[in-house]
Amino acid sequence: MSVRRLRNLLLVLIATVTLILYGCSDEDPTSTSSAGFAGLGQDVDGFQDAGSNSSLTFPADHSAHPDYRIEWWYLTANLEDESGEPLGLQWTLFRQALMAPSKRPEPTPWAADQLWMAHMALSQGEQHQVAERFGRSHSQAQLNTTQNSQAGVVANPFHAWLDDWQLKANDEADNRDFDNLTLTAYSGEGDTRFGYSLTLTAEGPLVLHGNGGFSQKAANGQGSMYYSQPFWQIEGDVTLNGETKTVSGRGWLDREWSSQLLDARQSGWDWFSIHLEDGHKLMAFRLRGGGDDTDQAQGADYRSGTWITPEGQATSLANSDITLTPQATSAVAGRDVPTRWRLEVPSAGLDMTIEAPHANRWMTTSVPYWEGEVVVTDHASGEPLGEGYLEMTGY
Amino acid sequence: MTRVLSTLLSHYRRHPGQLVMLLLGLWVASALWSGIQAINATARDSYARADALFDTQLDQLERRDGAPLTRGEYYALRQAGLPVSPMLEGEVVTQAGTRLTLIGIDPLTLSSDNAMAQANTSASLSDFLTPPWQTRAAPDALAALGVARENASGATPTLADGNTLPPLVLAPALPPDTLIMDISAAARLLESGDEITRIVAAPWALAEAPSGFILTRATTLASPGQLTESFHLNLTALGLLAWVVGLFIVQAALGLALEQRLGMLRTLRVLGVSGRSLVVALCLELILLGLIGALAGIASGVWLARVLLPDVAATLGSLYGAGVGQELNLPWHYWVGGLAVSLGGLLLAGSGVLWRAARLNMLELGQMQAWRGGYRRQLTLMSISGALALSVALALYGWLRFQPPGDGLVAGFGLIAALLLASALWLPPFLALVLKVLTHLAQRRPLIHWAMADMQLQLPRLSLAMMALLIALATNLGVGSMVGGFRLTFLDWLDQRLVAPLYLNAPSEQYADIDVWLADRPEVFERLLTRRSDATLQATITPDGSRALGTPIELYGITPGESLTPHWPLLAIQQDRSSAWAAFSDGAIFVNEQLATAENLAPGDRLTLSAPGANETLTIAAIYPDYGNPRGQVLMASPQLAARFNAPPSSMGLVLNDNANVDAMRAALRERFDLGSDALSDQAEIKRIATEIFERTFTITRALNVLTLAVAALALFASLLAQARNRRQQLAPLWALGVPRAQLAQLNLAQLGGAALVTGLLAVPLGIAITWGLVAIINVAAFGWRLPLYLFPWEMAITLATAVGVALLAAALPTLRFWRASPRALLAEEANQ
Amino acid sequence: MLELHQVHKTYATPQGPLKVLEDVSLRLAAGQSLALMGESGSGKSTLLHLAAGIDLPDQGAITLEDQNVASLAEPARAKLRREQLGLVFQQFHLVPSLTVIDNLRLQARLAKRDDADWSGYLIERLGLTGMEKRYPEQLSGGQQQRLAIGRALAPRPSLLLADEPTGNLDETTAGKVLELLLSLVRETHCALLVVTHSPQVAAPLDRCLRLSHGRLLDAAP
Repeated sequence: MSVRRLRNLLLVLIATVTLILYGCSDEDPTSTSSAGFAGLGQDVDGFQDAGSNSSLTFPADHSAHPDYRIEWWYLTANLEDESGEPLGLQWTLFRQALMAPSKRPEPTPWAADQLWMAHMALSQGEQHQVAERFGRSHSQAQLNTTQNSQAGVVANPFHAWLDDWQLKANDEADNRDFDNLTLTAYSGEGDTRFGYSLTLTAEGPLVLHGNGGFSQKAANGQGSMYYSQPFWQIEGDVTLNGETKTVSGRGWLDREWSSQLLDARQSGWDWFSIHLEDGHKLMAFRLRGGGDDTDQAQGADYRSGTWITPEGQATSLANSDITLTPQATSAVAGRDVPTRWRLEVPSAGLDMTIEAPHANRWMTTSVPYWEGEVVVTDHASGEPLGEGYLEMTGY
Repeated sequence: MTRVLSTLLSHYRRHPGQLVMLLLGLWVASALWSGIQAINATARDSYARADALFDTQLDQLERRDGAPLTRGEYYALRQAGLPVSPMLEGEVVTQAGTRLTLIGIDPLTLSSDNAMAQANTSASLSDFLTPPWQTRAAPDALAALGVARENASGATPTLADGNTLPPLVLAPALPPDTLIMDISAAARLLESGDEITRIVAAPWALAEAPSGFILTRATTLASPGQLTESFHLNLTALGLLAWVVGLFIVQAALGLALEQRLGMLRTLRVLGVSGRSLVVALCLELILLGLIGALAGIASGVWLARVLLPDVAATLGSLYGAGVGQELNLPWHYWVGGLAVSLGGLLLAGSGVLWRAARLNMLELGQMQAWRGGYRRQLTLMSISGALALSVALALYGWLRFQPPGDGLVAGFGLIAALLLASALWLPPFLALVLKVLTHLAQRRPLIHWAMADMQLQLPRLSLAMMALLIALATNLGVGSMVGGFRLTFLDWLDQRLVAPLYLNAPSEQYADIDVWLADRPEVFERLLTRRSDATLQATITPDGSRALGTPIELYGITPGESLTPHWPLLAIQQDRSSAWAAFSDGAIFVNEQLATAENLAPGDRLTLSAPGANETLTIAAIYPDYGNPRGQVLMASPQLAARFNAPPSSMGLVLNDNANVDAMRAALRERFDLGSDALSDQAEIKRIATEIFERTFTITRALNVLTLAVAALALFASLLAQARNRRQQLAPLWALGVPRAQLAQLNLAQLGGAALVTGLLAVPLGIAITWGLVAIINVAAFGWRLPLYLFPWEMAITLATAVGVALLAAALPTLRFWRASPRALLAEEANQ
Repeated sequence: MLELHQVHKTYATPQGPLKVLEDVSLRLAAGQSLALMGESGSGKSTLLHLAAGIDLPDQGAITLEDQNVASLAEPARAKLRREQLGLVFQQFHLVPSLTVIDNLRLQARLAKRDDADWSGYLIERLGLTGMEKRYPEQLSGGQQQRLAIGRALAPRPSLLLADEPTGNLDETTAGKVLELLLSLVRETHCALLVVTHSPQVAAPLDRCLRLSHGRLLDAAP
């Protein structure tokens, strides 16, 4: 009868809810990028704390650590297409705990204690495509099948996913040791479609940063658990503007989790991952502020890094081992962002100029930042030394 | 200027009745008008809120087999890369017993572009997503929740089932009666487990339906604003009518006040007040009175709207599914507009007065003589204007005849308005003519002769009130007949369509089992399975050629068995009923009247219908009435609909044998299939609900009608009261000449009763014309259905009696005062003249 | 014909009871004419109203054509008025909705004594010939009062009561109207009671009485 029909119509009308819901909320729309960085500078309260006495166990630690506040699986790659044109890509899965472990809700349907955010970017020349997804999960959900959660990570066989964006063990290879993965992520429709479907093969071991995987991030001792796989050889297809090309190149995966990554005084960071032509790898970062153990509002910068031999031998670099100097800035998205740097590591005999050939690598995600390919040359001679990725936040 | 103004106003100190009448007219006119506008404004605000939510309307996925959607399916769709979002919907009952719609959403996927950015800070998103969660609700919902506005924020109202809602956050942009919260909180309150109500996606984000699903595009759903436009036009027309009737009173009062002040105005002119200052002073007087009347009117209008709004909201909710807030929500332009309309109306009514004041001849004498000629001119003018209005009505009628049915809602209202205006304008000349003839005929009966002649003299002052009465009576009769006719038709139609004593509404996957089980029950005479699904009307093929369309329509399947076919109402068929039904069983379709009207279809035409996985061209065998449905519908035999469009079952009617026990059947079904309490409803209950909706729909129409009639009565009463003094002065000499007071009083009542009777008699054909306009033009255009024209002689008699009653009532007080006045008082008045 | 015997009349006013007439007695025989003079507020209009049965006395008797007016019910008094009395007012009180001829014949018709010849004669005598179809407001003041006189005489009353019949007219017109009134009264053998403050009006009448503060100054007849 019409009664029911009319009733249905009512439901449909009202059900079409969009986020105007938020447009009218009372909160003040201030959103600075550092505060937006998922509470990276918050107190630990109730979360597990990363410390120098923590140790890593694999494959278990490839999985998520919901007792820690934040975590990421962060892949960058410097690739080339068939015609030798360089191409960069990024895929990141971020996890953030919505509450301390003791405050988790019952795992009823849809109840969540973990918020997931994934970013993907594909860059070539002046083109820079960005996409973002969100999801939720409950840390007590059974993850034996992806049908139980929108997002999650399983250690073995490895599988990290948010919707159809997935980094997982390669079914066609022996994948017990995290050496063979596949990555797929696509976004958009038709002409604006972009994404990739790649196979990743590790040509070297995992590298633990800092002290056995504990990477200090400020002079007061706080830090994160941090390891990388910097030796990926990548093959596959990328799609940009609806066109698909075959690509190959090198990739770098960072794994990091923490409950208090930044000192409250730190405003952002500059992060380098470098593949040198001679097979060495270099990770270096500068956290702006929090470099000394004083109560000063700003404080000095805190620098750290890892020098990795082609065989995977890692040497930690301390604050004093690294000199990092911005040399030129570019105007990007209404900000001045340093896009040419001088990086000196005297102990490794390095004095390099690191420059982003394309400044428009701004990530227009809900938390915006700069992330893009860089070219490395010798500071004195200008000879090419290698390539890598640079991430800059808090500008 | 102040002195001039105060001198002008001093008139009202001596004649407070005129002031009261003037303000009363203004008050009533602006109260009804602004009341209706307040309702409209509130409804529009509600639609705008629903539309804003709609802003990015959402497409929907449903399972093709009609089974409920689950969380696992949703994840699977996400992992297939589809940008879909889950939604839970249900009802919660507040402690006050009000049902509110509860919607659970997942903000993280609902609009994947910028959920976080919109959430502003991760903290607010986190509050929405995590315990204790949040309930977002518009302030309209607070009353139902029993929460005061001051302490609404953060309140956690308890529901009838004892659950508490998450803390409230006010979101004025939400539609009324709707609570929105995170899907996890909604799942707890609705105890929905892994089931979800629907899966939605941004419009056109999905190129096609994933296999196993039906995709309904957002465009299929008309916005409430569009659907309800005609309803509001209706209201506005009624409001305008009340406004016009109110202005009649104002005009009458102003005219009287001017006439009695002509001497004063002349004196002022002679004393050196310029004509211009006089007009300015009169304008000021008008504005001053206008402001008082309009403000009082708007205040009462808001009150009136508040009283009527629940019924309007219920009507709009049940008829169109449009949510309207119970709380008035008035934008600033409502107030300004209300004031402007009231003042504008006053100036319109007062323009004649100002014009006369501006042209005032200082030496003008022989008032009565000038006036008698003036009134004759006025009658001529009225006759000419009436003829013009009638020509407009005829022109509109002619134009409408060449329009496809269903067009010309505004023209239809225009036609009725022109008809009303023409009749109103012709009323005074007509009455004057009748009186002239009667005066002539009554030469030999001195008292009647006098009464007729006297009535001619009264006519100018009464004509406006009589016009108002005519309009109110005719509208009352017209709308009353329309509603009454609709009611008869609707109830008849319900009886014809509801042939089974018991209706089953079960989860669609259960129907197959139930059907098998019922097939073996001896007491079941026939099982009437219905199915429904949506489709797009791609093209129509008529003798005039084929036309491409893209109209969304509803497909409805019925079982054309012995029980249904003899009763199912049909409006147009190609040959006879039995051949139409035979064709129907073989795959022909019936279309509802709305669709036939909108697309100009007739039996024999062919329609191309498409739905995911189906594309069929079918022949129309008949057109059937489908009252209360805002959408176009195509009817097919259930098996045909299942075969061609894979439509899921939606309900089943159970026709039982004569001696079968309905209650036993109900209990057996319930027990055997574990059905919920609302899965089975009997015919009487469905009828009751439908009738209730119907009655509510016209509550407001009836209320406004009665109010309009009351206003007209008031106009008449005020006119009579205003001239009561004058009347006594005219009656006193007659009394002195030896006519007993009782006889004079009777004559007085007879005069007015007679005039009202004539007016009422004229209102009858006019009312029939209005009924015709409503059922044949306005309803077709507004709703898509044409109703038979029913006439109710009893109601007409009541209308006539009302007219006479209203007039006698209005005349009673002045007459009583004359009757009771002491002779000395009468003569004192006479002497004072 | 008309006899007032010890008539008293008091009106309640906001300032207290007002004695309008005190112990007034007078007599008017058939065909006789009487002028009642007095200042404004002397009670002369009230006396006229009492005589017409429009108002009733507090005390005393009013006899008109052997009927005690005060003891009659309203309908009977109305009947008496329309059949026996003619009334002429200062403000004429014509019926604005009726034409001259209909006004003239109104009371006669009400009294069922309409006589076309008599009305025609009156029209002629009143100088209103050719104006029959006009409405009262289309006449001059003198014409209107003549019409009022005609209306009062049309039913051939036995008593004509006139209240300042020339009060609204200029001197010349007043003289002419009065002359006409008297000559018609004489023709119809109708008794006449005129209330006036004007000696010119009172002079041609048979008798004249003065009223002051509710009392007759001259002794009763």
